[in-house]
Amino acid sequence: MAHSDSVKAGVPSYLKEAQMIKQGAEARVYRGTFLGRSVVIKERFTKLYRHPEVDEKLTRRRTTQEVRSILRCRRAGINAPVVYFVDYTTHCIFLEDIIHSVSVRDHIASAQASEQNPQHLQTLVDKIGEILAQMHDEDVIHGDLTTSNMLLVSGAEDHNMKLVLIDFGLSYISALPEDKGVDLYVLEKAFLSTHPKTETLFERLLKSYTASSKKSPAVIKKLDEVRLRGRKRSMVG
Amino acid sequence: MHLTQVLELFPEYTVTQLLFKDVKNTTELRKMAVNGEIKGALINPSMVVDSFQILVAANKAVHLHKNGKMKTRSLYSEIIFNLSPTNNISEAFKRFGISDSDSAVHIVLVHNKDEILNINDIILKVDGQQIAVDRVSDLTDVAKIKKLYKVAPLEEKCGSLLDAVVCRMATKDVA
Repeated sequence: MAHSDSVKAGVPSYLKEAQMIKQGAEARVYRGTFLGRSVVIKERFTKLYRHPEVDEKLTRRRTTQEVRSILRCRRAGINAPVVYFVDYTTHCIFLEDIIHSVSVRDHIASAQASEQNPQHLQTLVDKIGEILAQMHDEDVIHGDLTTSNMLLVSGAEDHNMKLVLIDFGLSYISALPEDKGVDLYVLEKAFLSTHPKTETLFERLLKSYTASSKKSPAVIKKLDEVRLRGRKRSMVG
Repeated sequence: MHLTQVLELFPEYTVTQLLFKDVKNTTELRKMAVNGEIKGALINPSMVVDSFQILVAANKAVHLHKNGKMKTRSLYSEIIFNLSPTNNISEAFKRFGISDSDSAVHIVLVHNKDEILNINDIILKVDGQQIAVDRVSDLTDVAKIKKLYKVAPLEEKCGSLLDAVVCRMATKDVA
C-alpha cells in the first residue's frame, strides 16, 4: 500500500461511485453509504484560479470551521447533522443524512401555494426565531442563513417540530452584536426575496428571536443600522 | 455472533468485531496483543455505546494509516486512540484498552481482502463466553461515557448518546 496511487485512492474513488446531488461555488455535495449508514458528503474542491498555498489554507480553514460550528451547535442542543468522518487531505466531510426532511424554503412555498391556515407558518417562524436566538447566544454566526439551509423533519407535530440547521460552511464564532445583526440581515434579504408577501411573517420571526435571547436588544439595534447601510461596514472616516 | 463490515471508503479492508464476557485470561490476551500474537485491538466494552462507534474509529485509523498520518505506532493502537475524545495517547489506552481486572473484551480485527482470517484462532485464545456484538449495549457504562466525553443533558435533546460520541471522535483533531 506504499505506492502513491493507492494512497490517495480511498475517498476520491468512493466519490466517483457516489451520487452527486448538488454543485455549488464552494463544494460538491454527494449522497452515499458510510459504514452502513446513509450519509451526505461535502467535498470542497481545489480552485485552480487561486494560488495553491492560499487555496489549501482557505479550504482547510473552512472545513475545520464548519465541523467546529456543528459540534458547538449540537452541544447547545441545536439540531445540526452529526459529523461521522472528516478527511483533511481531500477536504471532505461525511455528515448524517437528514432523512424525511424538506427545506423550509420548499415548505413555505408549498404552504403558500395551498393557502393552508396561516397559523402553521406562524408556529414555524416562531421556532426559527427561537433556534437562531439560541445559536447566537452560543456565539455561532451561521454566515449563510437562508430558508434553504434549514430543514424541517416531517412527521413531527406542530408543537415539537424538528428543525435542523445545515451548511455551516461560512460560519464562525463571534460575540459581536454587529456580526449577529448582519447574520439576521442576510436572512431577511433571503427570506423576503424567496418568499413574496411575507413581511409580517418575518417580523414575527424577529419578535420570537427577541423574546428568546437575552442579548437580543443590541443585535436588533445593529440590524436596524445594517438595514440602512447594507451588509458591508462603511470604511469612510 | 461476530459482526463484519466492509469499509466503503477502502473496499479492500474489512472490519470484524467480536465480543466476549466472563473472560478469565485478560492479562494473557493483553500480552498477546502487545507482542503481536493477536492482530487486533482489545477494547473495554464498558466504553462502547454501539458497534458503529468502533467502525468510525477503525475507518479513521485505516484512513490515517494509508496517508501515513497515524499518531500511534500501529493500526490497532490507532483504533483505541481514535475512540478517545482527547489527544492524550496513554490516557486513551488506559480508558479504552483493557486492563487486567476486566472480565469483558471487545475485539476488533482489520483485515485485507486477500488475507485469510481465521476467527476461530482468536476465539480459541479467549477463555470466556462469546456473545453477540449488539449486546455490547448491555455492558456500556453510560455514566462514565457521558462524563469522559462531556455530554451535557442539553445535547441529548438533539440526538442519541452515540451521535454525541461519534461527533466528538470525528472532530477531535480540530475542536
